[in-house]
Amino acid sequence: MTHSHIAFSRSITVQPDTSQLYEVRRFVESVAADATLDSERTFDLMVAVSEACANAVEHSGSPGLPVKVKAACRGGRLVIQICDYGGFRLPSTANGFQRDHRGLGLPLMVALMDEVRIAKLSGGGTKVTLSVKLPAPALC
Amino acid sequence: MELSTSQLAGIPVIRIRGEIDHGNASTLSTAIDDLLNTEQHVIILDVTQVDYMDSGGISVLLSALRRLRERGWLGIINPNANVQRLFQIVGLALDSSFRVFDDNAAAEQALRETART
Repeated sequence: MTHSHIAFSRSITVQPDTSQLYEVRRFVESVAADATLDSERTFDLMVAVSEACANAVEHSGSPGLPVKVKAACRGGRLVIQICDYGGFRLPSTANGFQRDHRGLGLPLMVALMDEVRIAKLSGGGTKVTLSVKLPAPALC
Repeated sequence: MELSTSQLAGIPVIRIRGEIDHGNASTLSTAIDDLLNTEQHVIILDVTQVDYMDSGGISVLLSALRRLRERGWLGIINPNANVQRLFQIVGLALDSSFRVFDDNAAAEQALRETART
């Protein structure tokens, strides 16, 4: 049996507000199911994407520019890109509770994903690329 | 996320239902702070019905733990396997003031032992 390269690509765009994370996770859950990830890897991906989006929301400022989340199945991996279009800013306006525990997001992304890349977009903004290897036989 | 409060062996238990993330963690943080301000030595969170938690939730646990460490401990009842994995990754699982219980009965036994000492 040969496996064709069923590369799908889907995306959603959300407002830069942490109240949107719930909706982003439903999107991740849906693409993870399409890519045949098990429940453990789906959870990992939901956490990693939420962390990236929470950072993106912080960069987006107020009134914020939207955050785009794009999922693609390619090369035996499910790859998710999170793009914000704000300038990178050090978190200074966070409330006390948020300020106390900065910096857990990136270590969690690295611990949970097979690959994490962070790039600065030329027009301003940040692109985080997260990827997980698909179980064999991979869909794409 | 929904919160409800009850008691176990005289100690407050916050029962959490749903998903804890960066968007709603401050609600949980406020509920825990209200209990910490009453000089509780131990606080228990029942996360049996928590399907999802990210660093938004982990941050709340770390804050609570920092305030409780000198006087007591933070108990967690019945985290699912994924949430337990997060506890391990961030090092919470190694913290002696952070105690995870399989069920109410195990937590209750630990509370009675704490009360005796």
